[in-house]
Amino acid sequence: MRKGSKVSSNIIMTLVTVWLLIPLLATIIYSLFEDWTGIIPHGFTLANYQKIFTDTAFLTSMYQTLLVCVIPIVITILVVLLGLFVVTVYFPKLEKYMQILCMIPYTIQGVILSVSILILYAKGDTVLSGRMTMLIGAYCIIILPHIYNGIRNGMRAINMNMLLEAAEMLGESKLKAFFKVIVPNILTGITVSSLLAVGLLFGDYVIIRNLSSSNVNNMQKFLYQAMKRSSAEASAVFVVIMLITFAITAIVLTLQSRSTLEKIRNGGK
Amino acid sequence: MEHKKVKLMTSRNTRYYYLLALLPFVFLVVMYELLPLIMLVIDSFGLDKKPEVRFSLENYQKIFSTLSYQRAIENSLKITLISTVVGIVIAFLGARAAYTSRGKFRSVFLTVLNMTSNFAGVPLAFAYMIILGNAGVIKQIANMYGIGFIQNFDLYTSNGLTMMYIYFQIPLSTLLLIPAFNGIRQEWNEANMLLGGTNTHFWMHVGIPVLLPSLFSTLSVLFANALCAYATAYALLMNNFSLLPVNISASFVGDIKTKPKLGAALSVVMMLIMCVVILINNFITKKTTKWESR
Repeated sequence: MRKGSKVSSNIIMTLVTVWLLIPLLATIIYSLFEDWTGIIPHGFTLANYQKIFTDTAFLTSMYQTLLVCVIPIVITILVVLLGLFVVTVYFPKLEKYMQILCMIPYTIQGVILSVSILILYAKGDTVLSGRMTMLIGAYCIIILPHIYNGIRNGMRAINMNMLLEAAEMLGESKLKAFFKVIVPNILTGITVSSLLAVGLLFGDYVIIRNLSSSNVNNMQKFLYQAMKRSSAEASAVFVVIMLITFAITAIVLTLQSRSTLEKIRNGGK
Repeated sequence: MEHKKVKLMTSRNTRYYYLLALLPFVFLVVMYELLPLIMLVIDSFGLDKKPEVRFSLENYQKIFSTLSYQRAIENSLKITLISTVVGIVIAFLGARAAYTSRGKFRSVFLTVLNMTSNFAGVPLAFAYMIILGNAGVIKQIANMYGIGFIQNFDLYTSNGLTMMYIYFQIPLSTLLLIPAFNGIRQEWNEANMLLGGTNTHFWMHVGIPVLLPSLFSTLSVLFANALCAYATAYALLMNNFSLLPVNISASFVGDIKTKPKLGAALSVVMMLIMCVVILINNFITKKTTKWESR
């Protein structure tokens, strides 16, 4: 590449990086100081963090976030694994339809999904109309495309039918072999896609706002309420949320790069 | 051969048992995806004030003749289109920069993109209030030095909202475009230079045409991302700014009297907009990928 284009590339990347980092860094600094009215903030303090970590409401919201993230992901993974097993091994013709059904949530997204679930269930009085049931149902659907893609791609990367046949010859039933042989082989793919799903659910505000009752709060809802009370406290909540988000992203990236490395190594053999 | 045939026969008889394992998936999809959507469409033809009416187009007529709903559609389309176009231009420049360079700058850039790719919604709105809100950090610095355009910038308007939408479009779109750039081969650029072409020639006649399918599919992802975004706008302006997702949510959940049937019709309008974009995208993808099969 020519020198001029290299310089301009670096300028563009620096500008975008700075632009993306400003709101983030500014809020982090804001959370660590008592007063920021001039150029330089004054009075370093950890009081904001102390305050939120001694606040039971905040700790409850953390716990509830974890709960409403993990349950839908476990359900969706199991359901998609079973479904994909049956469809790819026994009914390949249905694969197309399964894919379409799994991709629909991409286009409807949070707002429409949550209100349509409200229409269907809010008035009833069965277990289906429970706020928690509606929320978990909606979350399962919203992460469906990611979980489906992760598992599907994992299955494509290994020679599933051959492995299953081999296991069958050794006297295992196909279903058992699927969970004993195939699932461990695509575990990285499943982990990556469920972490992506965690990221998605962790950032959700609209679905939980529309579907859950006021005593179920995730961290986003907590941040929204804290914002109305005090921006100092909210800035600490913000930093905790961002740290968790970064941690999730970092794990995804390491897992992905490790699995590509493995692929390259295996390919080289 | 014989052995295989026998096995196939037995497995054909037993394979229908395996359909049972498909039931949980079918249950989940029917109960929480298909039925709700069907109910939404049916409900959009009902009327909030007259529950006995089953089929009427009044909601739709109202949406397209009432100023406030027209404004919601207009605002949504405007902010979505601006943030999508600006987002794709910056993403194009950014992804090209990442494609042409190696080393530290690139890896820092990629890390920041990945880190900020989930930065949207309530946290984003909050961070912008901290820096550009009425008592925001950057606002105060601008006041001290008299930097007019920042002093006069009002975050709590459609301009502020557009700025935040552009922000969350950039990491997503750049990360989506970077793999597409890897499809451009170095030899093509060399061939272009040997034939006396400039860098601009190369991008206008080779680079962008090759990237077109990816550009358009990224565009449709960005469009959906912005059109359906709710939390960013709500956290900044609550229900005071007319946007399709905000209006839809407000007609189901809220302090004012809810209008679920009208909200259902608004949702259908929003889904139709999405469908049009997807159809256009499919059409263009078909046209622009023709050269590949040639």
